[in-house]
Amino acid sequence: MSDMNDEKENTAALEELARCRAEIERIDHEIISLLAERLVLGKRTGELKRAAGLPILDPTREAAVIRRVTTAARDAGLPAEPVREVFWQIVGMSRREQEAR
Amino acid sequence: MIIITRANVSDSEIDHIRERIESVGMRTHLSRGESRTIIGCIGDESLLQEVPLRSLPGVESVMPVLKPYKLASREFAADRTIVRVGGRDANASFGGSEITVIAGPCSVENREMLRTSAKVVRDAGARMLRGGAFKPRTSPYAFQGLGAEALRMLAETRAETGLPIVTEVMDTRQVDLVAEHADMMQVGARNMQNFALLAELGRVRRPVLLKRGLSATIKELLMAAEYIMANGNHDVVLCERGIRTYETATRNTLDVAAIPVLKRESHLPVIVDPSHAGGDASLVAPLAFAAIAAGADGLIVEVHPDPECALSDGDQSLAPSAFATMMEQLDAFVVATGRTMGAPVHARAVA
Repeated sequence: MSDMNDEKENTAALEELARCRAEIERIDHEIISLLAERLVLGKRTGELKRAAGLPILDPTREAAVIRRVTTAARDAGLPAEPVREVFWQIVGMSRREQEAR
Repeated sequence: MIIITRANVSDSEIDHIRERIESVGMRTHLSRGESRTIIGCIGDESLLQEVPLRSLPGVESVMPVLKPYKLASREFAADRTIVRVGGRDANASFGGSEITVIAGPCSVENREMLRTSAKVVRDAGARMLRGGAFKPRTSPYAFQGLGAEALRMLAETRAETGLPIVTEVMDTRQVDLVAEHADMMQVGARNMQNFALLAELGRVRRPVLLKRGLSATIKELLMAAEYIMANGNHDVVLCERGIRTYETATRNTLDVAAIPVLKRESHLPVIVDPSHAGGDASLVAPLAFAAIAAGADGLIVEVHPDPECALSDGDQSLAPSAFATMMEQLDAFVVATGRTMGAPVHARAVA
């Protein structure tokens, strides 16, 4: 009897695992489209900076962005350091796009 | 430059300090220790001249780091680093109170010899298995290793024995393949200054065992570690394996002094390879004892089920019985340094 229960529990766990993975995949797609959206806006700010005669590299602005996401991550209960690393990558990607025109 | 914060510093004070530093185009690295927190500054330090660091809230003191290595330097970390290797089913760590011994054959020759070696070293108290898949040999005509096939055998052996595996990666093109199977990636002595490889290993977040080049200075070894760390991977274990001197009676000369010097200069764990240092099985145990006495965090030792028939490095490989004897004798030295050998990895059920 207990063997049958174990088997039932296993099947239930496997089913939920598959659902979780599908959900993760969906979120990953969402992150990618949000990144694409962010990059488009980044490019536009690059054009606007050029039009306004401002330099592309703006460390003060980048530092403020990182500070803001650090606080937001902490408020959301996420580990702040890895989130900072991820956002330095995103900020860097955006800057490189702006520089490349 | 490093900033030592006050004991009661708040998260928002830390955020503010980092924002001020990053606003001038530098990057920061945070190290939280048990009793203090350190913010390390990375980049062109002349930029910091315009930042009134000492007067920022939460700052206790500001100190320059004059060494060319920053992330690897002792000053940058609040506490010594403990590098954890492997996952739930097979794991080991370097740099804590326990001495961790890695053992196994120089190269993976076939499934059976690997399995035998793994069981032998595990039963004698080793916590990790070594085994070469890609071998950098001095002669292009010598045995070059079994490559991808050996990686699969290593992974199978891990599943059977519970020992995490370390194996050498020789080329940037192999990094992803090796990372798929290995728990720890080894950079061989001949590749210590292969900067493209080091940068690639920085990108792959897998612990790295970095061996000292046979003609490399301690500073060069730490700069090599800095390469990996600057590219994002902070899990680096340093390995002293003997350097080339005028002495010909031994293959290399074990630089025992390098152990306390590295531990003074860096927060990274340091292990010793007594097999390559001496190049002779009879020297392995004495050099291992010396390494532990000098403060090493672990050892990497070559063990072969039948050294006479080894396809590579047979002269320096220990037979199983000699390895078991050495491990027993090692206890006294470990205890004398105030550390422990750690519990042996028990056999796990094989599915």
